Order: sequence, then C-alpha cells, then structure tokens
Amino acid sequence: MKRHLILGAVLGTLLAAGSATAADREIVIGYQAPLSGDRSQYGEMFRNAAQIKLEEFNKSGKLAGATVSIAFEDSKDDPKEARNIARKFLDNPKIVGVIGDFSSTVSMAAGEIYAAEKMPQLSQTASHPDFTKISPWQFRNITTQAFEGPYNADWILAGGLKSAAVIYIQNDWGISALDGFVAGFKAKGGKIVSTEAFNPGNRDFRSILTKVARQKPDVIYLAMFYEEGAALAQQREQLGITIPLYGTSSLYSPKLIELGRGSVEGLHLATTFTPDNPDPAVRSFVTEYSARYKAEPGMFAAQAYDAVGIMLDAVAKAGPAVTRQSLRDALASTTAYPGVTGATSFDPATREPSKSLARMMVKDGKFQVVAVP
Amino acid sequence: MVFDIFFLQQVINGLSIGCVYALMAIGFTLIFGVLNVVNFAHGEVYTVGAFVGLMVITAFAPPLLAVVPLVLAAGALAGVGLERIAFRPFRRFNDEASQKSRAMREATLLSSLAVSIVTREVMMHLFGGDMQGIPAGYLLQRPVAIGPVMVASGSLVIFATSAVMLGALQFLLYRTQTGLGIRAVSNNQLGARYVGIDTDRTIVTTFAVGSMLGATAGILVGLYDGAISPHMGFAPGVKAFVAMVMGGLSSIPGAVACALLLGVSESIATEFLSSGWKDLITYSLLVVTLVFFPQGLFGHGRERA
Repeated sequence: MKRHLILGAVLGTLLAAGSATAADREIVIGYQAPLSGDRSQYGEMFRNAAQIKLEEFNKSGKLAGATVSIAFEDSKDDPKEARNIARKFLDNPKIVGVIGDFSSTVSMAAGEIYAAEKMPQLSQTASHPDFTKISPWQFRNITTQAFEGPYNADWILAGGLKSAAVIYIQNDWGISALDGFVAGFKAKGGKIVSTEAFNPGNRDFRSILTKVARQKPDVIYLAMFYEEGAALAQQREQLGITIPLYGTSSLYSPKLIELGRGSVEGLHLATTFTPDNPDPAVRSFVTEYSARYKAEPGMFAAQAYDAVGIMLDAVAKAGPAVTRQSLRDALASTTAYPGVTGATSFDPATREPSKSLARMMVKDGKFQVVAVP
Repeated sequence: MVFDIFFLQQVINGLSIGCVYALMAIGFTLIFGVLNVVNFAHGEVYTVGAFVGLMVITAFAPPLLAVVPLVLAAGALAGVGLERIAFRPFRRFNDEASQKSRAMREATLLSSLAVSIVTREVMMHLFGGDMQGIPAGYLLQRPVAIGPVMVASGSLVIFATSAVMLGALQFLLYRTQTGLGIRAVSNNQLGARYVGIDTDRTIVTTFAVGSMLGATAGILVGLYDGAISPHMGFAPGVKAFVAMVMGGLSSIPGAVACALLLGVSESIATEFLSSGWKDLITYSLLVVTLVFFPQGLFGHGRERA
C-alpha cells in the first residue's frame, strides 16, 4: 500500500506539473458518522455542515493543483460498523485523513484501527479523556472538561469569588467535570466547601441546596444538563437561596431558559458556539446553513464545520502531495484556527484542543455575552 | 450543631418529597389490594395525567381548578383501558386454582409492564423525549415562608391533596357500598363472586379510582416540578412501590406513612452523606423492614404472593 501511495504521489506531482488543465490531484477525506438509526440527527447535522465547509474550501483556492472531496460512511453509532468503515477507509489510498465518529465509544473503537495503521483521525465531538490517549494519530476539536473546568475556575476567581460548592451528576462525564473544575479552582487558591453528587434522573435538589446553603459558599458550580439545571434554579429560588450559579457549557440550551424562566437569571457559563454571535464568520455560517437546511445550526453542526475546516487547512498546509503522515504533522501544528466555535489550537504534546470560550450569562431572559467577569 | 434551622428545612424538604411519593402510592396500593398483583403501568397513568393536564392548559388556558376534573376523567379512562388490555384477559378462569396460580400473577405483571413500555414509547413519539415546560401562570412554585423555613406553594397543595385523597378513599372504602365491594373482592375474590358481587365491575371501578388518583398526582407534580416528560413516572413509581411494600402491601395509610418516612429519610441522609446515596437509603429501609417486619410496618397478616 505504501508503494501505491508513493507511486500515486509521484504520478500526481508529475501530472500536476505536466498539465495544470485537466488532471487536478484528487484528495479524499473520510467522514464516518451516524447517518441512520437513533443518532442520525447528529450525523445529518455533521454532513450538512461539512458540505458547506468543503464547498467554501474548494472555491477559496487555498490548495492549488488538487480538489478535495469527502467520502461519508454511516456508522449507525455502532462500534462494529465503525471498525469496518475504518478498514474500508484505510484501503482507499486517496483517503489521507478521517473525521469522526460522533460518540466517544464509537470514535475510540475506530481509533484503535487508525492508530495501528497510521491514519490521522479528528473527532468533532468525542470528549472522553482517553480518546486522544490512543495514539499520536487522534485529534479532537471539542473542549473537554479538563480544559473547561479550569477556565471557569479562573473566571470565578477573577470575579473575587473564593469559595465554591460543586453539584454534579453522578456519571463519567459529571465526574470528569467535577475533577476538572476542582483541580483548576484549588490550583489558583480557591476553596471547595463541598461536592455533592446526584443520581441521573433526580429532579429534587432541595435537600442538596439546603445542605450547600449551610456552608455559605461564594458560588455554586453546576456540572449537569439543562433539565436538571432548570429544576435546581427553580428550587433554589423557592428556598430563598441567593448564592450565584456558574455552570458547565452543557447547560447552554434555549430549553434552560424556557424551563427555568426567571430563576435562571444571572446564571453564568462559558460556551464555544452561539448562533447569535456577531462575529462575521459565525454570521455567514449561520446564514448559509439556515438558508440551505431551513434550521438554525446548533453546537453540533458548528463542531463539524470547524472539524472539517481544521482538516482542510491542514491538507492545504501539507500541499497537494499530502500523505497521511504529513497531514498528521500539519494537524498537530494547528494553532489558532479561526473557527465558528472559537479559535482552536492543539497542544503539541497531548493533542488536546485549547479553545477560546465565550463567557455568557442569562440576562433579561436571554443568553448574553459578558465581556468582563 | 446539627439541629438548626437548616435541619428543620431538611425535614420540610423531606416531607414535600414524601408527599409526592405518597400521592402516587395511594392509587398503586389500592389496585394491589384488590387484585394482589403489581400494576407496573401506574407510573404511566401518572405521566398520562400530566400530559393531559398540560394539553388542556395549553389548549384552553382554563383556571387551574377546571383542569382537575378533566385529568380525573382521563385517569379514569386510562384505568379502565388498562384493566381491559392488561388485566382482564388473564382473568378468564375463575376457579380457585387459576386465581392462586403464580403463572397468572406473573403474566399480568408482565402485561402491565408491556403496556407501560408501549405507552411510554408512544408518548415519546408524540411529544418527544425532551422536558416540556409548564406555562408560567400554572406553576405551583411560589415560595411560601412558614416562620423561618421555606416551602413551595406546590408542596402545600400536594400535602393537602394527599390528605384529601386519603380521607376520601377511606370514606369510599369504609362507608359506601362500592367500598364494601372493593374490600370484599380484595379479601376473597371467589367468595365475593359467590355472594353475588359483580367482581369484574368492582375491579374496573378500583382501576378507575386508583388511576384517577394517579393521574391527578401526575399533573400536580408536573406543576410543582415545572416540567414534565414521558419518563417522569419511573422514579416516583419505584419509590411508591417501596412505600407500598414497607407499608404492608395493601394498607393505604401504611403506604402514605412509609412514603413520608422515605422522603424525610432521604432528605436527612443528604445532610450526612452525598445525595448520590439517596436511593441506597430507600432500599436499605426496605430490606430492614422486610427482615424485621415481614408483614410490612402496617400489614395485617395478609397472605403474600
């Protein structure tokens, strides 16, 4: 296979050099995502966003002498399917890099194969801490709680709030959010007065809130989803507790305000993507996406849009004679990629993304960007 | 200092959770008492009550008290339908051997479970799996200060409703002809049939009454929680089941008392342990009860399945 690649590369260069007219080199990016089944709504969003980015890129002329296309494969959110797709992608010499999959489990199942066969893989959404630990061939452009927790901790401390209670959901994600925040908060001299877990499905936070109120922390940090966040905020109001709330980006949903109403007023969180961001890149993406697909893009579409953008920029950097190895190296050197989910850089050692997050608070029944803490 | 105002607040928090469990346990226990089988679909009756309530509210925006009769009617309908689909087909044989057979009991248990799953899935398709918010005017979430402790208006409404339901049900059971019939069927279905009681009709009535209570519980808890979803019935259903077993399976006051006990224990346990241990407390209490009081705390020496 290696020989084919070299041959292909040589041939491609010769052709490109020989005649700039017809035979542009064809570079293919594999995209595996759930396009059918329970999670197909996510796969659809990824494909929609990816197509917009791809067209923009091919029109932009950033990569002379080659056209890039994307080959989509349906993984059905199934690790077995993902492994089959991985083998199929590996056997196609035109494919130099892969984006996907959606869930951490499926991404990691395919990732093991990509790692063994040396294919760069970039997931738009896999946030499990172990994903990028598989091999130097794995990348992601989603923030992990290991990044977001310390970011929020800094924000809270900068506002002069020195002690915090954490209320978190008792699952893998919740525990990673707790760990990330507590590590960041303690490192900068903050004091954690209590950490309270609750079981998924719980809707009654009165007893936790009463317990936390007794400790009188400066702030309550919420690591949970919008449904629980809304219920908690309402019950906090009923109990007459006025300690300010900060939370993880998972609370960012219009549903939080719809369910929580006045009680979520003043809740702070940081997020990567907001459709009403005035940034021109975000505006043009939102306009284009809404026009084509008759729906406003959410965070998942934005993540895919940026994942494709990062991958294509790396292809452009590696040049028309791109190989899997040169693409990996180009990806690893991504710094401050200007995407719609903030600027993304990869840490050269861990390949973990650092992103710029937008600081938001609920004000007058809307999420609004706050400039200073 | 453990006993302070926060502790008192925890007891109040516990009583309001306990009332939610109790409200659900009342209908649950009534149906178990009569048929001696667990109705696994009670949680879905509760959810149906909440969704019917929300549909009525969004469609007509009536005063809150006008919502209740419609929810009661929906509950009765759900109960009658449930009995017809999941329970009646397994009562084809009336001899003593079939009635006491384990297979019959397990079959109804599974059929009610099947109905509950189908109902939940259908609701998921109709309304989506997301939480549905309740229009602001109907929420029972106003904070009410009673001295130094805070309760939500919904806690008071739920407490009052539980008391009224319990009273009305005791009246129905011990002061009316229908109640006499229900008690007779509950005591000995075959005997009741032999003395001329229409057992089928009594069972249908029980389902209707139990489900009316369950549906009302659903909408009240929805207004109190501020949001409803197709899976909202599961968690309180499990707690109500535990309360029923602890209370002695067919004692309605027993189930209510145990529901309150569970709520307060969970809430006070949060003070000393993490709230993640809450369910452990519930099940430990269940095990302790079953070991030391095999008949339940309020049991009457009833034969156990």
